[in-house]
Amino acid sequence: MRDQNENDEMDDLIRRSTQVEIPAEVEERLRHRLAAFRTKVEQRPTSRLRSLAFWPPVKIMAMAAAAVAAVVVGLVLTPREASASRVYAAAAEQLRTSQSLEYTIVLNDTPYVGIDFSYAAPGFRRVNCSWGIEVRADHTAQKQIVLMHLTRMYAIESGKHVESVANSEDLVEQLLSLPPAAGEVLGEQRAGDKRLIGYRLPKAPLDTSVAGLQSFDLWVDAGTRRADHVDISIQEPGEPVHQMHIRNIRVNGQVDRSLFDLTPPAGYTSLAATNAGPGAGKPASSQDALVLQAQILQSAPLTAVVLPMTGSYALSRVAIEKVASYLNTQGVTPAGSPFGRFGSEQSWDAGYPVPPGAKVDPPFQLVTLPATQIASVVVDGAWGADSSARWSAFFKSVIEQGYIPAGPPMEIWSGEDAKVQTQSTEMRIPVTKAK
Amino acid sequence: MDSMTDRNQEYERLIAPIEGRMMRAVWRVLRDPNEVEDAFQEALLTVWKRWDRIRMHPNPQALVLQICIHAAYDALRRKARHAKRLEAGGIPEEIVDSSPSAAHDISGAEQDAQVLRAIGSLPKNQARAILLHAVEEIPYVDIAAAMDCREATVRKHVARARAKLRTLLSHLIPAIHKEENSHA
Repeated sequence: MRDQNENDEMDDLIRRSTQVEIPAEVEERLRHRLAAFRTKVEQRPTSRLRSLAFWPPVKIMAMAAAAVAAVVVGLVLTPREASASRVYAAAAEQLRTSQSLEYTIVLNDTPYVGIDFSYAAPGFRRVNCSWGIEVRADHTAQKQIVLMHLTRMYAIESGKHVESVANSEDLVEQLLSLPPAAGEVLGEQRAGDKRLIGYRLPKAPLDTSVAGLQSFDLWVDAGTRRADHVDISIQEPGEPVHQMHIRNIRVNGQVDRSLFDLTPPAGYTSLAATNAGPGAGKPASSQDALVLQAQILQSAPLTAVVLPMTGSYALSRVAIEKVASYLNTQGVTPAGSPFGRFGSEQSWDAGYPVPPGAKVDPPFQLVTLPATQIASVVVDGAWGADSSARWSAFFKSVIEQGYIPAGPPMEIWSGEDAKVQTQSTEMRIPVTKAK
Repeated sequence: MDSMTDRNQEYERLIAPIEGRMMRAVWRVLRDPNEVEDAFQEALLTVWKRWDRIRMHPNPQALVLQICIHAAYDALRRKARHAKRLEAGGIPEEIVDSSPSAAHDISGAEQDAQVLRAIGSLPKNQARAILLHAVEEIPYVDIAAAMDCREATVRKHVARARAKLRTLLSHLIPAIHKEENSHA
């Protein structure tokens, strides 16, 4: 009886010491391995020799046939595995020879931080960012127009610079030059009634134009042999990992040619004209020749309570007051100055930084903004004053320093509400280096 | 029937029901994301190589779990050897206080680590048998089928494993403390 108790206690000790839950991120990695394994199992050929080898009477025969088996595996296995290769090859070929392409790029899993991309052979491209920047380019003519919808400004550029700005964002070069064979089969995913096969592409030559490319995974619909989506991971030395996803891929569809029109829209003014206007050369305080020097910085992560909004940005103050009132009722003290993030008038938000772990009720949301590379400048003066001119000057400085916006603009308002002379605004925007 | 469908059904029958147990079996022993991923891949490779045997095995799922446990145990042994080398080089990995009073001071994580290290020090068959029996709660008869030996042999492995662990981990088991205290 004592022995039995000791045995039970020992077993209990082992059980207790090993009963731990798998962290979600580890489970996800292992499931990824299982998916790849499942694909391999499904592609495994039926081998009569293999089956018979475990039937004792023929074990010796099977051993003698080992050399023959190797040949059989060579003959049988290769064509089966070639099936997955053919699915990839068909999708890659279609992309390489495509006459038009459209897709959406989503950055860092934030749904509204996205880019709609359109391409038409031989070199027309349009990048429409959800944070109000649109680039239309004709690469054969080396000419492009950059539209800043937030400020209703535009800039027309030509020459070598055209290549650099658009290439950094749209990833079309990578899709138009996919290698004929994938580096690795990742396994399968189910998406509704679609069976998707994943392929990890070999780094070279893809990484020649995407600095810090860690992985480029193409998922193909096995039924139609068309590209379904792409998952990309990028990390430059000392920088956080960026996830990008290419979704809604449409190959060789009808693309509206007016999307690539390089004529400035009505009501938009030229950035060059503004900066070379009557005030050019005057001090920075002059409204006509506002010059701002954006600083490229690494932002700290930020936890905040925000109120999601749609409609005019003029409602920012209303949104901020609602968040302030809500935090007050909850007994939460803001951890910093109020801010607004302006994705588009269909989706923006405003709120206050708060200590991590705060609890919120709808419609308010707790968001975490990860550390990222930003351009930033602080402008003294009344909140909201000269907003259009400030943002134009800010964008100009960002682009002149070789960076392009990579996320929604943000304004952080400091100072006292009742004292205009104490007020200042930090303008910031996530940026990436133009290649 | 199409052979791809056959294989799909085989996977559904043999692996799908125990996917969670397979992952847990490796994680519980190793607890390090990278080591777990490597060991799990090793296990899958072995399952792949032995696929024909597994699908005709009387208890295929016990065999697959045994493969996972074995891969995790191998990694645990490698880790222990590495720690020993460090220790020999003058960097002590950890000093275990095995006095009875230490039982009250040891945190859960330290206790888990000591138990896992002790299992890692067992001979291969004893470690596999005790993990399959105590952690995975697989009946002796199925462990025997998975380890390709007699049930009596499995029982012997488990008994020897317990005896060794009892010596190594006496400070963690209340009944043994009581026993030691009453003799004192």
